[in-house]
Parts: sequence; C-alpha cells; structure tokens
Amino acid sequence: MPTSLLYATGLVKRVSTATGELTILDDVDVAVEQGAQLAVVGESGSGKTTLLGILAGLDLPSAGQVWLDGAEITALDEEQRARVRGRSVGFVFQSFQLIDSLTALENVMLPLELRGDGRARQGAREFLQRVGLAARTTHYPRQLSGGEQQRVAIARAFACAPKVLFADEPTGNLDTRTGARIADLLFNLNSEEATTLVLVTHDAALAARCGATLALEAGRIAGVQR
Amino acid sequence: MTLALVLRFAGRDWRAGELRLLFAALLLAVGAVSAVSLFVDRLQRALVVESTSFLGADRVIDSSQAIPERFRDLARAEGLRVVDVVSFPSMVFADSNSGRADGRSQLAGVKAVTPGYPLRGVLRVADEPFGASRVTSGMPELGEVWMDSRLFPALGVAVGDQVLVGHARFVVAKVIAGEPDRGGFSEFAPRLLMRAEDVPGTRVIQPASRIEYRLGLAGDDDRLAALKAAIESELAPNYRWRSIRDTGQDIARALERAESFLLLGGLLAVLLAGIAVALGANRYARRHFDHVGVLKTLGATPRDIQWGYTGVLLVIGIAGALIGLLLGALVHWAIIAALGDYLPRSLPWPGPRPLVVGLVTGFICLLAFALPPLLGLRKVSPMRVMRRDLAPSAAPFVTYGFGVVGSLGLLIWYSGDVRLTVAALVGGLVAGGCFAVVALVLLRGGRVVGMQAGSMWRLALAGLQRRHRENVAQIMIFGFAIMLLLIMVLVRTALIDEWRAQIPEGTPNHTLINVAPDEAASVQSMLESNADWAGELTPMTRGRVSAVNDVPAAQWSRRIRSQGVSEGERGPGPRLRSERPVTFLARLPDNNLVVEGEWWTETPEEPAISLTEDYAGHLGLALGDSMAFDIGGLPLVAKVTSLRRIQFESPQPYFYIIFSPGAMAGHPVTYMTSFFLPPEKKPFLNELLSAHPTVTVVEWDAIIAQVRRIVASVTQAVELVLYLVLAAGTLVLIASIQSSRDLRLKEHALLRALGGTRKLISGALVAEFTVLGAFAGVVAAAGAEITVWALNSGIFELPTRLHPWLLAAGPALGVAIVATVGYLGTRKLVFSPPITVLREV
Ligand SMILES: Nc1ncnc2c1ncn2[C@@H]1O[C@H](COP(=O)(O)OP(=O)(O)OP(=O)(O)O)[C@@H](O)[C@H]1O
Ligand SMILES: [Mg+2]
Repeated sequence: MPTSLLYATGLVKRVSTATGELTILDDVDVAVEQGAQLAVVGESGSGKTTLLGILAGLDLPSAGQVWLDGAEITALDEEQRARVRGRSVGFVFQSFQLIDSLTALENVMLPLELRGDGRARQGAREFLQRVGLAARTTHYPRQLSGGEQQRVAIARAFACAPKVLFADEPTGNLDTRTGARIADLLFNLNSEEATTLVLVTHDAALAARCGATLALEAGRIAGVQR
Repeated sequence: MTLALVLRFAGRDWRAGELRLLFAALLLAVGAVSAVSLFVDRLQRALVVESTSFLGADRVIDSSQAIPERFRDLARAEGLRVVDVVSFPSMVFADSNSGRADGRSQLAGVKAVTPGYPLRGVLRVADEPFGASRVTSGMPELGEVWMDSRLFPALGVAVGDQVLVGHARFVVAKVIAGEPDRGGFSEFAPRLLMRAEDVPGTRVIQPASRIEYRLGLAGDDDRLAALKAAIESELAPNYRWRSIRDTGQDIARALERAESFLLLGGLLAVLLAGIAVALGANRYARRHFDHVGVLKTLGATPRDIQWGYTGVLLVIGIAGALIGLLLGALVHWAIIAALGDYLPRSLPWPGPRPLVVGLVTGFICLLAFALPPLLGLRKVSPMRVMRRDLAPSAAPFVTYGFGVVGSLGLLIWYSGDVRLTVAALVGGLVAGGCFAVVALVLLRGGRVVGMQAGSMWRLALAGLQRRHRENVAQIMIFGFAIMLLLIMVLVRTALIDEWRAQIPEGTPNHTLINVAPDEAASVQSMLESNADWAGELTPMTRGRVSAVNDVPAAQWSRRIRSQGVSEGERGPGPRLRSERPVTFLARLPDNNLVVEGEWWTETPEEPAISLTEDYAGHLGLALGDSMAFDIGGLPLVAKVTSLRRIQFESPQPYFYIIFSPGAMAGHPVTYMTSFFLPPEKKPFLNELLSAHPTVTVVEWDAIIAQVRRIVASVTQAVELVLYLVLAAGTLVLIASIQSSRDLRLKEHALLRALGGTRKLISGALVAEFTVLGAFAGVVAAAGAEITVWALNSGIFELPTRLHPWLLAAGPALGVAIVATVGYLGTRKLVFSPPITVLREV
C-alpha cells in the first residue's frame, strides 16, 4: 500500500462517443503527500477536470487505481466512496455549486448535518465568520455576489475538516482582484488547517503558490515540477 | 439519515416552494377522493334508506298465507327488527249510530300493522281530509283507524266519528296522507290503516278471503343475508323474499347508474390527481439533480439519498393525506350544506371506507406516481457538479409504467368493478397510443406550415418542434385531461336528460276511477276548469277469467301451479280467477311498450287482448291463447295478440288486461282518467268528491314527489363529481405547464437577452400554448367521442349518438384552457427582467 495520502497509478479514462471511443486520460500517475499542494495545469480540454473527479472518487477510471487516505477508492462501491468523501474530502468548484434554496449558513451546515454532527450550526457559523461572511448567514446564494458565493463554498469545504481539498478552477468565474482574495483565503485556511490541496487552474500565479505542478496535455502527463 | 434531518430537509424544500405542487396534487387526490367517497357513501346510505322506504322495510317476505312464527323468531334472533303487515279489501261502513253519518259504505284497502311500522320511511297524516300533511312517528292506537282523505266524503264522516269494519267499531283518529309502501300501482281502493291486533275482532278474515301477508325486516345487510340463508329452503313456493332491487322499479336502475357514474367520476379524479402527482414529482426530481450531485460530493451515499427523499415524500404524504382528508370532509360538508333541500333530511353517518379510500389513494399515488422519479435521483452522478451534461437517464416512460400499474391497482381496488376498470384502462392506453402518434404527426405538419408563418408563430413552432418529446407528452397529458372532462360532461348530460325525462313536470299525479257514464260530462267540465288535464277518459269495467283455451280457469291455475319449479320462481302474483279491472283501448298507453306480438292498429274483427308480460308469464299465457271472460255476467272471448311491458317511469295506473276497442260493445263501463293537480289545489278534490260521491280518487303525488327527490339528489351528486373532476383536470394542466415552464422560460429569457421583445416572446408563448391546446383538443374530442359511446352503450345503457360539435368544441376548449393557464403561469416571468429569469432557472 502506498504511503502517500493521495496516490494514483496508471489512470486511463475512455469514453465512447458518437464518433467512436475517446481517450481522455492516458496512463496518468499522481502522488500527493499529506499537507502538500498540487496544481494541475493544462489547456482547455486536456483532461484536468476528469482527473480531479477520478482522484476525488466522484468518477471511476477505465483503468488504474487510486488510494485516498488509506483506502483504495477504485475498489470501493459508490456507497463506500461517498463515505470516504464525507470523511476526508472537501470540494470547491468553479461554479460554486451552492444549493440555491438554502441560506449561506444552511449550505455550510450541510456536510456537518450529513455526518450527524450535533454542533452543525455553531461550526458553520464559525467558518462563515472565518471567511468574513458573519453578516450574511441568512442570505440566499442568489442574493450574494460571485466572490461571496465562492467564500461560502470555501467555508463549506473546510467546515468538515477534510484531509484533502479538491478545487476546480476556484477563481475561474471571478475577476482578478476577487480571484486573488479568494486564492488568499484558500491558501490561508489550507495552511491553518494543514489540509492537502489539489488545485486545477489556468492561472500560472496560482499554480506557482503550490508546492508541485502537474501539467497535462491531451490526457497525458507533459511534465511534473516540484 | 436521521428523521430529524429528513424533517429539516423537507422543511427547507417546503420553504423554497419546491414541494408545493406535489403537495397540492396530493391534497387534491386525497381530498377529491375522500370527498366523493364520503358524499357517495352517505348519499348511498340515504338513498338506500329512501328507496327501501318504498318497501317500508329493508327486505320483506310476501305471501298469501300467514307468515310462520318461526320466520319471526329467526329474524329476532338475528337482531333484526320485524313488523307484520296484513292487507285485505273490506267494506267500511259509516256508523249510523254515531248520529251524523247516514250509513254509507265503501270498499277500502285495509292495512293492519304491528307496532314499529313502518321500519323504513315515514307515515304522513293530516288533521282534515285533503289538508296539509305532516310526518308522524305515531301509529293508530288499538281501537282506532286512520283513513285516506277520499274515504271521508265517500262515507260522509269526519275525524272523530266512528266507522265499522266487519264486526268491530273504530274511532277515526286521523287522516292518513301517505305511507311509504303504498302498495302496487294497481291498488285503487282507499286506505284504511289499523292495528293488526284488532283484526281478529272484525272477523272479516275468512278462509277464502284475499289477504296479503307481509313480514317487514330491517337491520344490517349481513344479518338479513344470514336470515335469508336460514329460511331459503322454506320460502318456495309460498313465500317471496323481496328487496327494493326486485321491485322492478326504475328507481333501482337509476340508482345503479348513478353509482356507476359517481364511481367513474371518482376514478377519473384519482387518475387525474395521479398524473398531477407524477408531474409534480418529476419536476421536483428534475430540480434536485444538482442538489443530489452536491450532496454526494459532500459525502451523502446513494442510500442516504434514497432514504432522504423517500423520507421527504413520506412526510409530504402523511401531511398531505391527513390535511387532504380534512379537506375532503370539509368539502363534503360544504356540498351537503349547499345541496340542503335536495338531500334527504338526515344523512346517515358514513362508514370507515371513505377515509380508508382517501388515505390509501394518497399513498398509492405517492408510491406509484411520485416515488419512481425520486428514486432515480440516487443514480445521479456526483460528477454532475463538474460536468452539467451528465443528466440521469431516468426515462420518463419508466415512470409511466409504474403509474399504469399503480392506477390499475387503485382502480380495481377502488371500484371493485373489473369491467369498468378494464374498459377505462384499455381505453386509456389505446387513446394514449393514438394521442402520441397524432401529436407527433401534428407537430411534424406544424413545422412545414410554420415555415411560411410570421415570426412569432415561427418561433413558437420551432420551439414546439425542438422539444417534440416533451411536447408530445404534454399534448397527451392535456388531451387526456380534456378528454376526461368531456367524457364527464357528455355522460352526465345523457344521464340527467334521461332522468329528467322520466317524470316531466306536470306528470298526472291523480287518477279518477268509477266515473259513471252519466257523470262523465260534469266531471269533465270540473277537471277542465280546475286541473291540468289531457282530456281523455278511459273506459273500464271489471272482469274475471273463466277459461283459457277452453280449459276452465280453476283447472288451468292448478295445471300451472303443478309445473313445480317455475311456479316456485314465480311466487305469489296475480291470480287468474280474481276479478280485476280491464279496459278497452285503441291507442297503446304512453308508459307501455309492446314486447311480443303487435298492438292492434285498427279495431280488429275478432276481439283481441293485450296482457302485461309479467301477468302472462306468471299465469302461463302466451300469444295466440284464447281467454274467456265473465264481465258483469256477460261472456267475452278474445285472443292474446300482444304482450306489454310497463315502464314505471311515471307512476300511473295500468291494466294487466286490455281489450281491443270493439270488444267493449254492449258491456257496461265506467270511466277513469288521470290529471295533474298542484298541492295548493288539492281541496278541489273535496269539491269533486262531494259532487260525485261514487267517484274514486287515487293520489300519486306523494310517490312522485319521493321519486323526484331521489332523482334530484342523484343529479346533484353527479354534478358535484363533475366539478371535482374539473378541479383535478385543472390541476393537471397547471402541473403540466409548471413542469415545462423552466425549460421554456430559459429559452425565452435567452431570446430576450439576445434582443427579442417582450411582445414577441409572450406572443410566442401564447402561440405555443395555443397550438398545444388545439392539438390536445382534437385528440381529446376524438377520445371522448369513442369512450362515451362505449360507456353509454356498455355500462350506462343510455342511447348513443354522435356529437359533431365536439370536433369544434374540443379544440376550442383546449385552446381556451391551455392558453389561459399557460399564459397566466408564465406571464410573471416574461415581464420580469431576463436576468432574474436566468438566475432562477
Ligand atoms: N463523458 C464525456 N463524454 C464525452 N467527452 C468527454 C466526457 N468527459 C470529458 N469529455 C471530453 O474530454 C476532454 C477533457 O475534458 P475535461 O473537462 O477534463 O477538460 P478540462 O481540462 O477540465 O478543460 P477545461 O479547462 O476547459 O475545463 C474534453 O474534450 C471533453 O469534451
Ligand atoms: Mg475543467
């Protein structure tokens, strides 16, 4: 069993389309140590999101194995993978993915409630305060700006103290200044909570803040930088 | 997932308005079904009570022999209530000793009863002859009699005077204005009601006298059935067990039809509500795809999702069912309050069935219609949060499969009528298939035509074509809903027309008999100036059969009776040798229908007879038989040339035996005639009878009023069910438009963002709904026509005919409803800035 917190080997992802079989990922290996940060970069369509989904256990590869926090998630069923996600993984998405019928506070409470945490409300409140939204707890996503929504999403991701945080272009939908602030928030919380970070980004500056960079090109590893 | 969490999630969804449509559909399903069943249950109980009052009991045992004590004991042991009713004709004499009367006499139909009479229905009495009547719970005391109004002028007595029946003297205590079981329509003699205990004292009952014994029974159906089973073998051939259904009256048939109709209405309401539930659940599920994706990334397992949403559904189900029941109860009370006058005075309490029906309906609706789309949610991939194209593959048609199975179960259970259910279901499936094909063809055609049309229409048609799958489904749903509405309207109209035609306003409600030829002119002029009279006098006389096919009547009777089985089935009935009224007619009376042979077109050479089919059947007579009569001492021989069926649609006197007009020559006759008299003119009868003391009046008005009341309440119930189905249909339309709203609006908001004007967009929306409504209307009209044809001929036994106006009315209705509801449902969003629309959907 590998010792890295996140370890993947020989990942292949093929999908069948109307025009024939398409290989999106081809023989990708990844290893991320506890507390490390990995940036995944590459052109649009190079397979970054696909890789992230597989590493986080949201999707299964066509071939290859993934270990996450001591469990071989490629060998688990969806039920067990969901439990691993609930226990060890947090997400931040480009399109925020807040539930629009829930208030900011309720969105943050959600993962805590799902794991049966009796102190969900206090915990969520605390994290909203840490992302600077203490005054907006009762607001709905529709009433928040993009940057504010992403902060709620970050609070939600950290609220359940994940071991690994997966972020897919977390600043992609934001203007440069807001994006920079969100990135600061993300990295600060990351170091405070000693979370491992896997970040997909187009932003070279953002990638540079990570300890390692993995470049994808048409589904293959084009280079690894440490 | 814990219950607390499920409740919290349900609460949040409710707050967000996601569950409202589903909840409303469920409320309607449970509410409509329980309101209909509650009302129908109570109405049925009331109608059974009302109609059993025609018997004066739930069941009766009739015989020409005294009822064995054993029957009474067994009935009491079963916990049934019993009364004895003994009827016989007897002369009644005014007591000349009482001073006022002058010793006149009159033949009366005596009815002697034991305490408890009547077991069903009520007695009505008046304080003076032909006076205003009221209901009484009492009955004659020992030594008292109550008499028909017309006996008073005939005997020249007043209330409080004394009369003689046989050897006993009685005080006339009250005027009897009505009793529930006022006997057959051929009973002309005025009523005298007395106590059975007083009968022996009169000494009028002799071995040969013509007496009818009746044991009235009342109690639970199963107890009655148990009693019947216990004495079944002893009944034939002398005792006849009868219920209201056996009396051959049209009321029973009208009731059965009404029950079928109400049932059908209830079924349609359930189906419609089921569709609304399915649509609501589908929309809810679609709007939750993203939520589920997010929940899954946050660690929710598929099982969490499954149980979480099932839990939310259960919460909604329990709340909806309970509130729906409450709503159903309220609606049914409101209906009862609104119908007030039409309904029997006191409706019996409902049994538990309606509540169970309501609850079970709610949960089956949920399980069959709502659960499947929600269960599809567990398969949503968490990757959906990153790649929006990953829609779950839960095909809507799988959902419909569950719905079909669910509705089948529901229908069979609810109706207990496999024929009706299978008819409804096969019809529904066939119609559905045809609808789909027609809708597809129409949409294709629409595109070709649309190419040349203006830009608003082009936009609408392009949209319709682009989403053709959704639109075919929607046309089917619209079409189905509109079809069900049309079906209800058509069947209802046919039923009510039929009922109304049975007893039109002004139906004769009084009959005069015994009008002597020399009185005819005077009676005629009195009727002409005081009553609503058709102006026809029917000659009649009394006759007795002396021989059939040259076999003496007594021997013929014995021969018929000895034919074992058939006699047992026949039971007591008209006797061959009784003297009975006969008439001579050229024209077939209105409520008679010739079922065998032919009515004479002109006066036949040979005297001919027409018999009622039950009389002929009972006495073993057939076409071609020759019958010899003794009419007032003169012989008359005639051949049977036709058999008639009496349609009891209006209570009118009828004759078992009608002679051809020529046969009358030389026989002394009296006349009879029927006329309509409104209640306020009833005192005219006093005047008439005082002027013509020998004339007899038969009053039908009480019976007619009773039949009217029943028909009116059934009609009201039928209308009510129609409204409920309408409500359910409208909800389906709203649900369907709601569920397509998101898709449409997103498109239109984009169009507006791209520069389309509001006018163009709302015009296109209306155009789109107009096309959908018109297509749905065409489909609905065709489906309704076929189904109504089948229903009317198969189940309701009503006359079938085509309704060409449907082809115009269907699409017009479709356009009106769909365009209105569709426009109202989407207008708000068309008129809000595109950005809010884009943010919301
Ligand atoms: N289920 C699928 N079916 C068909 N093609 C797919 C599927 N999933 C991914 N692809 C294709 O695989 C390629 C990689 O997609 P992916 O979303 O991983 O790219 P990406 O690197 O995240 O791009 P971007 O930077 O634009 O987000 C794309 O060309 C995409 O169209
Ligand atoms: Mg991507």
